[in-house]
Order: sequence, then structure tokens, then C-alpha cells
Amino acid sequence: MNDPFTTRLLRALDVFFEAVMRFLPGLLAALLIIALGLVIGWLLKVIVRRLLLLARFDRLCDSWGVSQALARADVRVTPTALAATSLFWVVLASFAMAALAALEVTAVDQLISSFFLYLPRVLAALAILLAGFVMSNFLARATLLAAVNANAPSPRAISLVVKLLIAILSFAMALEQLQIAKNIVLAAFVITFGAVMLSLAIAFGAGGRDVARRVLERQFKDVDPDKDRDDLSHL
Amino acid sequence: MSQDTSFMPPDLQHELAVLGSADIVVGIPSYNNARTIGHVVKAVQAGLGKYFPELHAVLVNSDGGSTDGTPAVAREASIGDYRTVLAAHPLRPVHRITTPYHGLPGKGSALRTVFGAASLLGVRACAVVDSDLRSITPEWIDLLLSPVLKEGFDFVAPLYKRHKYDGTITNSIVYPLTRALYGRPVRQPIGGDFGFSGRLAEHYLTHDVWSSDVARFGIDIWMTTTAITGGFRVCQSFLGAKLHDVKDPGVDLSAMLTQVVSSVFALMEAHEPQWRQVRESTPVPVFGFEYSVGLESIQVNVERMVQIFCSGVRELGEVWERCLQPDTLEEVHSLAGQAPAGFRFPAPLWARVVYDFAVAHHARVVNRDHLLRSLTPLYLGRTASFVLETSNADAGEVEGIIEDLCHEFETSKPYLIERWHATRGGLS
Repeated sequence: MNDPFTTRLLRALDVFFEAVMRFLPGLLAALLIIALGLVIGWLLKVIVRRLLLLARFDRLCDSWGVSQALARADVRVTPTALAATSLFWVVLASFAMAALAALEVTAVDQLISSFFLYLPRVLAALAILLAGFVMSNFLARATLLAAVNANAPSPRAISLVVKLLIAILSFAMALEQLQIAKNIVLAAFVITFGAVMLSLAIAFGAGGRDVARRVLERQFKDVDPDKDRDDLSHL
Repeated sequence: MSQDTSFMPPDLQHELAVLGSADIVVGIPSYNNARTIGHVVKAVQAGLGKYFPELHAVLVNSDGGSTDGTPAVAREASIGDYRTVLAAHPLRPVHRITTPYHGLPGKGSALRTVFGAASLLGVRACAVVDSDLRSITPEWIDLLLSPVLKEGFDFVAPLYKRHKYDGTITNSIVYPLTRALYGRPVRQPIGGDFGFSGRLAEHYLTHDVWSSDVARFGIDIWMTTTAITGGFRVCQSFLGAKLHDVKDPGVDLSAMLTQVVSSVFALMEAHEPQWRQVRESTPVPVFGFEYSVGLESIQVNVERMVQIFCSGVRELGEVWERCLQPDTLEEVHSLAGQAPAGFRFPAPLWARVVYDFAVAHHARVVNRDHLLRSLTPLYLGRTASFVLETSNADAGEVEGIIEDLCHEFETSKPYLIERWHATRGGLS
């Protein structure tokens, strides 16, 4: 019984079982946490879904243009279902991280702490993107309506420029929030924004030279003031 | 006297308390109307002196913080020697009050102060006239107050002689819609110059609307609709021509249309149980002697209106398809192919468009401000069609065309009720 091979084998098995016994409670705890996460995530999903349905969230998203954007991206679920499912996965991911922590693995612990430190930034970036999306749609439509009602040329192009500018701005802000290549993002944003403005100025000055002249003449000279006159009193 | 009058400036309350009581209050809301308010005050003074010399009258100028000296002009304007305009000297001079108003800036807050003054003084009749009027005469005061004082009416709406292209929002939206909804053909529901009983002034004060758009710009249609739906006795008085100071040309049509239509639609929400029951309209008595007047010609740029309509058809499909029914939208699209000179926007289609917008506003299918601003190209299309249709028509023929439009609104009302009802379970 005391031959070295047997002793080594038994010691190795002993260490292995000891490690397993040390690991098992953590694993069980991790599985329990994930199960708990599944239940809580599912419960929250059901509650949030009901609340959003009561608040007519789908109709709200419809008026904000979110539903149309989802349809364009071939996402075939309602905004309510999407929000509820997203919440479920966020809750489950958070519990999964907690479950990993229960395993007490040093490398995993660092990963988890980084995850939880980074999570608020991800949420803030998502909120910025959502707000930017809603605002860009809203302002683009307001611009389109104002341009049509003022009989401005190319109202669609004007509204598209507004939409693009806000989208670029919100995208840059979201990346800045995520701290992804901050300096590059800032430089890229400044360059892109400046380029858009410069190209618009050049396009208006060169391509729309005649339009520019007409606009300026209308502003500063008396060119047939009766041409567009309307004495109509609408009220 | 039981109303809460804490919204009135303390100085005004004190002045009214000293006065005690009165028979008549005439209110003049103002904001930077120094050019015209003097004439209005003199006309009111002369009207009260000529037609109600034995009654105790108070003139209240409720000002919104004018910077051009309007209150001073209102205080100082005077006929001077009454013998030059009246056969007899009035027994009691008109007491004049100039006061700022509290609350949201707008005509509604100004008139609330007038209602409050009427309530505190326990008056029998009130009249309100705009401060930018150039055509007001002393007879207006008689025509606005006599139906209340002598005939027992509660609300007197104005009837004006206007150019056929004047008041197109009233003619194509507010009048036909108000008439179809509430069954009372009040021709100028947003005229701005009204007469009403002290009882109705008290009733106006009982409504909690003074933090809403009513306080800012929707007071005229609110007064008319509240009088009708409250079961008050309503009549009209023929006042003659309505000429007022030139409006700021920078005032945006789209904003103006949005304000007026949003007020009408908001009232539709509030009075749904009443208008749902109304099946036909009953005539409204008319006072005053109708006569024709010479009116200045109006230049209209029809081509520009059609251009804006066509631009709307090209660009606003995304908004319109959310509020207009598919067949209505298709019909609207088909109109864009017409030549500007022969452009027509049929009355039945226009009635359906207005009803679809009312339902969309009710169901909030899209941001309400955007929804109403998207109505502008459609309204200009209908106005262009009206101008072309009536280019050779006289005043009587034009009234006939407006009458036909009202019938379209009335006959299409079941469509409105059906669609409005459908929104309760989700927009169809």
C-alpha cells in the first residue's frame, strides 16, 4: 500500500476530490443564482410587458417612429415585446455574472467587476442612442412640415440633413460614453461635422448659385414684391 | 358673486368693490393696439351713451403688458363733447377701468378678467370687442347688448359682411364643423366680438380652463361652444363690415391654423356626449338690418397654394397615411395631377379629411402639433379650389357654396361617429 505510485495516485485523487468538493458548493450556488435569475427575469418580463401594454407603449413608439425603424430593420416583434425581452436578458446576464462570482475564480472576479463597472456606461449609451433616435425623427418631421408649408425647395433633403446631423451627434456621444477610442471619435466627429457643413456650403454656393442669388435678392432687393403676395385673411 | 376672483389684480378688485354694482360691462382685451384702441373706446362710449343712457356701464380694458402705450390711449380716448355725436347727453358717464391681467398671456386670460369684473359687479349684460377694429360703430354695442337686455338671449354671436375670400379657416373648417357637431349654425363662431348675459359670464368662470390653450388663443370658439353646449339661448347680430388693423405679415399660417383647429378638436373631446346625439341643425335667430358693403379687393396667389398642396402630397405621405383612411388618401393623391388653373378639391372629400384629422387627433396617432401642421397643405388645396370655384361668384352664390359644404359635413357625420367610436378599441 505504501508504494510510491499508489501514494501519489491517492494524493492526486485526494487533491482532485478536495478541489471538487471546494468547487461544488460554488457551482451549486451559481446554478441556484441562474435559476433565480431566470425566475426573476421572467417575472419582470411579464410585469413590464403588462405595464407597457397598459401604457400603450406600442402606439407611443409608433408615433415616435420606433416601430417603423424596427420594421425597416426586419425586427418582427412589437416594441413592447422587444423591451420586455431585452429586460429579461439584462436581468439574466446580471445574475449570470453574480453566478460566476459565486465560483470564486480570480480571473472571473476581475471580469465581473469590470462588467458591473461598465454596465452603467452601456445603459447610458443605449439611452443616448434611443433619445437621439427619437429626437432625430421628431425634428426631421418638424423640419419637413415647416419646409413644405413654407413652400421651400427640396423639403425632404432639408429634413434628411437635420436627421443625419442629430444621428451623428448622438452616435458620437454614445461612443464617447462607452469610452471607445475617445480621441479618435472626437476627431472623427469634428471632421465629419465640419465636412458636412463645408460640403453643404460649397453645394449651395456652387451648385445652387442661382438659388442663392435669388434668396439674397429677395432679402435685400425689391424684386417684384407682389409676386408672392397674398392678402388672404384666413381667420 | 360666489366665484373665486383671486386671479384678478388687487387694485381692480378694490376699484370694483368701490363701484359696487353695474348693469353693463364692455370688455376690450388689448396688446399693443395703441393705433386703434382709441377709436374702439370712443365707439363703445358713444354706443353706451346713445343706446343705454340710463344704465350704469363699465368699460374694462384688460391689457397684456403693451409696450406702445395702449393703456394710456384707452384711458385718455374720449368723445369729448357728446352733442357732436348724440342727440342727448347720457345720464351716467361710462366708468372706465384699465387693468393688466394675471395668468397665461393671451386673449383668454384677458377675457377671464372681464368675466370676473362682470361677476363682481353683478351685471345683466356684457360685450367684448377686439381692440384692433377699424370698422366698429356705436351701433355694434346696441346690436351686441340689446338681444341680451331686451330679448333674454344669453349669447350674441357676430355676423359680418366680409369679402368672399376673407375668413377661409372659418368658412372651410370652423363654421361647417361647429354647425355639424352642435347643430347650431353660428356663422362666425370665432368672430371675436360677442355679447352675453351676466349669467353666462358666471358660467364661463366655473370652468377650469384657464391654464390651457383657451387662456392663450382658443377663447372665441370656447365661448361659442360653451354657450351652445350649456343650453344657453344663442342668437346672432348683423354688425356690418369687419375691418381690422393689418395683422403682422410674419404670422405663420401653419401656426394659426394649428391653434384654431386644435381648439376646435379639444372641444370635440370635451363635448363628445352632446355632439354625438345631434342629428340636424336648428336655425339661430338673427338681429340687425342686413346690408351690403363695398369691400376692398383681395389678391390671392392660387398657384402658390396649389404648389404647397402638391409638395404636401409628395412629401407628407408618412404622416397622412397614419391619419387619413386609405381611400381618402388615394383620392387626395389623385388631386395632385390637376392643372393649377382648373384645380378642384371636392367638398365631400374635404369633409372626410377634416373628420379623419379629428379622429387622428383624438387617437393621438402622431404628435398632435405635427398632425395639425400637416393639415396646412390640404387646407391650402381646399382654399385654392374654393377661390377658383368662386372667382366669378357674388356674395350670395359664395354663401350657397359654403352652405353646400356644411351639408357635406352634416351628411358625413355618421362617418365621424363611427370612426371616433372605433378608436376606443384602437384606431381602425
